[in-house]
Amino acid sequence: MGHTILEKIIALQKKTSNIRNLCILAHVDHGKTTLADCLVANNGIISSRLAGKLRYLDSREDEQIRGITMKSSGISLHYTTGGNEYLINLIDSPGHVDFSSEVSTAVRLCDGAIVVVDAVEGVCPQTQVVLRQAWLENIRPVLVINKIDRLIVELKLTSQEAFTHLQKILEQVNAVTGALFTSKVLEERAEKDADATSSCTENSSGDQVYDWSAGLEETDDSDLYFSPDQGNVVFASAIDGWGFRIHQFAEMYSQKMGIRSSVLLKTLWGDFYINAKVKKIMKGAQAKGKKPLFVQLVLDNIWNLYDAVVTRRDKEKVEKMVTSLGLKVMSRDLRHSDPRVLLSAICSQWLPVSQAVLSMVCEKLPSPAEIVAERVEKLMSVGARRFDSLPEKTQELKKAFLDCSADEMAPVIVFVSKMFAVDSKALPQNKKRPLTQEEIAQRRELARQRHGERQAANQSTETSGSVDAGGTSILAAPATSSVTDALCAQTEALSVKTAVEEEGKEQFVAFARVYSGVIRKGQKVFVLGPKFDPSLALRMLSGGCSATDALPTIPHMACCTVDSLYLLMGRELEELDEVPSGNVLGIGGMEEFILKSATISTSLACPPFTPLNFEATPIVRVAVEPKHPSEMPKLVRGMRLLNQADPCAEVLIQETGEHVLVTAGEMHLQRCLDDLRERFAKIEISASKPIIPFRETVVRPPTLDMVNEELGKQQKVAVIHQVKEEQTKYPEGVQVDSTGLVMLTTSNKMATVGVRAIPLPEDATRLLEDNVELIRTMVQLSLFAWEGKTLDINQKILENIQDFKVKLESHLQGHKWRGAVERIWAFGPRRCGPNILLNNIEGYQRPSVWQCLKCVKEKEKAEATTLRDFDNSIVSGFQLATLSGPMCEEPLMGVCFSVETWDMKLSTPPAQQDSVDENSVSQCAETSNDNQSLSSELQDVHETDMSTTGSNRSRSRVEAMGSSVDCYGPYSGQLIASVKEACRYAFQAKPQRLMAAMYTCEIMATADVLGRMYGVLSKREGRVLHEEMKEGTDMFIIKAVLPVAESFGFADEIRKRTSGLACPQLVFSHWEVISSDPFWVPTTEEEYLHFGEKADSANQALKYMNAVRKRKGLYVEEKIVEHAEKQRTLGKNK
Amino acid sequence: MSIFTPTNQIRLTNVAVVRMKKGGKRFEIACYKNKVMSWRSGAEKDLDEVLQTNTVFVNVSKGQVAKKDDLKAFGTEDLTEICKQILSKGELQVSDKERHSQLEQMFRDIATIVAEKCVNPETKRPYTVNLIERAMKDIHYSVKANKSTKQQALEVIKQLKESIQIQRAHMRVRCVWPAKDGKRLKEKLKSLIKVVESEDFDDELEMVQIPEDTAEVSAGFSVTILWLGEKKEDLKQTSQTSKLDKKVCLIDPGCFREIDELIRCETKGKGALEVLSLKDVEEGDERLE
Repeated sequence: MGHTILEKIIALQKKTSNIRNLCILAHVDHGKTTLADCLVANNGIISSRLAGKLRYLDSREDEQIRGITMKSSGISLHYTTGGNEYLINLIDSPGHVDFSSEVSTAVRLCDGAIVVVDAVEGVCPQTQVVLRQAWLENIRPVLVINKIDRLIVELKLTSQEAFTHLQKILEQVNAVTGALFTSKVLEERAEKDADATSSCTENSSGDQVYDWSAGLEETDDSDLYFSPDQGNVVFASAIDGWGFRIHQFAEMYSQKMGIRSSVLLKTLWGDFYINAKVKKIMKGAQAKGKKPLFVQLVLDNIWNLYDAVVTRRDKEKVEKMVTSLGLKVMSRDLRHSDPRVLLSAICSQWLPVSQAVLSMVCEKLPSPAEIVAERVEKLMSVGARRFDSLPEKTQELKKAFLDCSADEMAPVIVFVSKMFAVDSKALPQNKKRPLTQEEIAQRRELARQRHGERQAANQSTETSGSVDAGGTSILAAPATSSVTDALCAQTEALSVKTAVEEEGKEQFVAFARVYSGVIRKGQKVFVLGPKFDPSLALRMLSGGCSATDALPTIPHMACCTVDSLYLLMGRELEELDEVPSGNVLGIGGMEEFILKSATISTSLACPPFTPLNFEATPIVRVAVEPKHPSEMPKLVRGMRLLNQADPCAEVLIQETGEHVLVTAGEMHLQRCLDDLRERFAKIEISASKPIIPFRETVVRPPTLDMVNEELGKQQKVAVIHQVKEEQTKYPEGVQVDSTGLVMLTTSNKMATVGVRAIPLPEDATRLLEDNVELIRTMVQLSLFAWEGKTLDINQKILENIQDFKVKLESHLQGHKWRGAVERIWAFGPRRCGPNILLNNIEGYQRPSVWQCLKCVKEKEKAEATTLRDFDNSIVSGFQLATLSGPMCEEPLMGVCFSVETWDMKLSTPPAQQDSVDENSVSQCAETSNDNQSLSSELQDVHETDMSTTGSNRSRSRVEAMGSSVDCYGPYSGQLIASVKEACRYAFQAKPQRLMAAMYTCEIMATADVLGRMYGVLSKREGRVLHEEMKEGTDMFIIKAVLPVAESFGFADEIRKRTSGLACPQLVFSHWEVISSDPFWVPTTEEEYLHFGEKADSANQALKYMNAVRKRKGLYVEEKIVEHAEKQRTLGKNK
Repeated sequence: MSIFTPTNQIRLTNVAVVRMKKGGKRFEIACYKNKVMSWRSGAEKDLDEVLQTNTVFVNVSKGQVAKKDDLKAFGTEDLTEICKQILSKGELQVSDKERHSQLEQMFRDIATIVAEKCVNPETKRPYTVNLIERAMKDIHYSVKANKSTKQQALEVIKQLKESIQIQRAHMRVRCVWPAKDGKRLKEKLKSLIKVVESEDFDDELEMVQIPEDTAEVSAGFSVTILWLGEKKEDLKQTSQTSKLDKKVCLIDPGCFREIDELIRCETKGKGALEVLSLKDVEEGDERLE
């Protein structure tokens, strides 16, 4: 780009009324980028010959390869019409659903939008979405009906047919707009109604007359719709470079036919025809079978041209047309073998699309200064907060918005909608430019100096003799000399590798727009995060202060200096010194301060702008891993950068250590992975299905079998199965009675524990889950209490705990739970999970978990029971058992273990009477020697390693007494192991179930794809909770739940099946018991009849369980080969 | 002419031979390949899917059937019963698929154990099993079928340390010892302790109570950690005569025994070492920002 244009643009930036900020929106493949190309070509940035082929704004490599736009990118154009010069900041946006977040970022910065619709495909899902987005952001749209050439060349419609077709499309678009309008009006009305009913409930209802009008009639909507005679519709074919508004034809024909152009303008679109005899325009062309005016005067001409140039290739006729239109076509184009070249050469002169579109834009779209007050209020009020509730100072800023003045005094307000990464090479500062003569001379001088120094340094190394010292002196010597030299030397000293790295570094540029004031290079500004609260800031700094003062730290606020400002020119950036209000710009050097979006201002009263409306929420989750584990840090850094660069992507590290990338769709995911690979992390990575968590639980014994017959009535046929299972389940030393009470003795036969597993009611489980934090503080409090530290406990926390306790009591009703809450021993796993250990041992008292409620710290009396000492072993055993269940080593949930008996044998009298602790330990040491079998738990290496070492104190005691060492390890260790095993067996004695994590899934879909959407849901085990119709539209809102395990690929499938008309959102909601028993085998006669002996119909729970077991390398009961006879065993060469 | 010329050569296909010596004689049965292990593990319940035939042979490949008299050694006439005995106790050549699946399972198991025990020292977060598996393949670790998986996992950790940033998850322990031994002990412990989180130097009696439920077990693997019930009274006795040093620190689980030994010997049983948590890891999800 030449300097002249740049200067012109800078000059124009100051004329706010001549600026147009607009974006191009459309469904994918409707020709946004092609249209943008035409507009860019108009400015001479690219050749008009290449317009439509180059896709100038698709600067990414994968965009070019795939042929779709993946990011929004801006470009500033200069346009002159009627003596007025305009600056047009054009933003091209992607059309694919996955990138609708990019659309949001583009729409936010604009005042107007060009909505492009394919003349063949008409209104598509994304068209609706972008119209809605434009609507929500309160920006004014204009319409371009593109690809009209396809109607002629591909569909071979006659001009008459094409006219009706175009009419239909226009109606569709207007229908969408109308729906948006009505839904808004209805919403407002509903709000008003709600207000009214709440305010005047005491009014007698008798005199209330329901207002059926619904307010639709009262609200004016005429200026909303697209209509060619309004001048906000362009018919175009961007690929062939032509486009027109009916204004152009109206003017043309008004001269020719002598009809006033205003009349023509009104009648050119619509059911009018010209009566040649009376030279009058009449209504009712369709009824009379006459050609409508539009067909006769406009379309026919184009059709003729196409017919001559493309279809019949009639050279003479073409020449005649060209001369009659008064165009000059180069003979090179005339001779070209491809008729399209000739066509575009003619068309782009006759009806240049850029002219049509740009003039429409300049006329119809508002300038930044004409910002509507309503929009300002919307932008400034975050979330549900009303504008009125904002602090006064903030409200004052509204004026600044409305003024949009580039005054020195006006506060600077800039909104950054996204951060995008730019190769640092592409930045204008780093661009290579031709050196001036002086510079060359300077460099030569420098090189000479350096050379001399190096020689000197070499000499010095020789003298010093030591190689090491020489190395440092080389570095040191230049450093002491002049600054420039030092710099040179440093770059020299750096290895080539680092140089390469620096070259490839990504720099972030903020994609932003100035709403008020002038932003300057080097200016100090506040960067306000999305959660910044102006009222808080104003409270903290009562007086007025500027960004230069030292400030206390305010959450979500940072203070920084504007590093550099850029003019966005597609793939290039031009450096600027200042940008006045109303312009779109790039800001460099903000990556430290801005994550994704932010508001920049010089006033702290400025509220952060409302968060962008994202049509697509990120729902596709994958786990990302580096190919080489040692490259982990690079991956983490890369993911951070990606997070910053992409408005929609989310990255997180899960507790399992997985690095999870959440994207809006498969295509978006692909782009993110490419970005990670090639730009941000620069390592090989692999993406896989994330690990799906499960929970294990027990349920009440079912009363119905799988064919809904009552259990217990029929005879059990498959006794064999049952017997076999029972045998394998319990090793010796474990006794299980019919009620599920498990008795287990430690390996030294010293203690016996009886444990029973009971399912917790669902509500109680949920309550426990919701109060994890509370339980954790509770545990901590009791820990402190035991330690004897006095802790001033927050009264509110105590109240919460009390509340929690009462609630828990209310959930644990019934006979068997009587007094259970008081007897809770511990929660687990990790001391705060949704499982309970109950102390049902007779005659054993221990301080309850609720002890922190008693504010008075009781001095704990030393209980002289041995049980008390080992209290903790039981808890530890319980914690271990709940952390990984027997089904697939996943945590337990909603299980209550009740310890019913706990016997300790104490045969020999204590050796030392003074300490109770000692006697138990010594006993276990003495008596345990004669035991033979090692418990399996203690056999494994780690175990013994840990437990024997962990036994420090018991052993020290034992050794001090001179008795032999317990061969089973310490006593408490054994107890932990036994309790854990007992819990596991108790768990297994009950009907076990797997719990799956569930997403709630909210789907917006139009009525016609409902059926297919239900199909996808049911295929993936989803369950529809409810559906309702959104008032005023044909959209349905469906709420469903879906197992997380089935959600992989869900978004993609549902979009494919519904042609993108349903957009789901997934949010984790709860855990749900999978009703099928993973260990189920047919047992009754009916079940045999129904399922056969093997019951190989898919058991969802078993499938999940085996998948987890396989992943963890646990034993899976699976045959290596299913059918023995079917193996091919012959060698290859026999 | 050899007996095994191509024409009269009989090749057993799809046959796995299970052998057993009983009463000084060798017996063989003919089974299907890849099925014997499944039978032994209980996954295959249909005997017909395991046995080619329920005849007992002396030599399967030659087709020599065992004599009835010889079979008396089994103590039963029922051939199927005898086959079951041989199946469960006899020796067999493990087939490729069986071995492969067994080794793969062990490999996974080892990786799972390593992933559970270790963290990335930089982020204090565990590695995923997948990543560990890949790293194990990178260092060409070969699974030994006759060693326990936990033993091998400990070896793997050592080897992995050379290629990636990995570390046994630290244990959080609390050491208590009489103050008079303090200086001496501290010097010795210095090398063993990774991070000292807090140090207390108390001389108040009440403050030296040790929480009894500190042996928190939060790790996902079956390790028993104990808090051995030394009574508070006990400590009080000691602390009446001397001050106690308290220290909360992070250590490598491998050093546990050494530290324990040290404290115990040096303080003559008066000091104590408790485990506060087995694994010092970050909890919860973190959003990268």
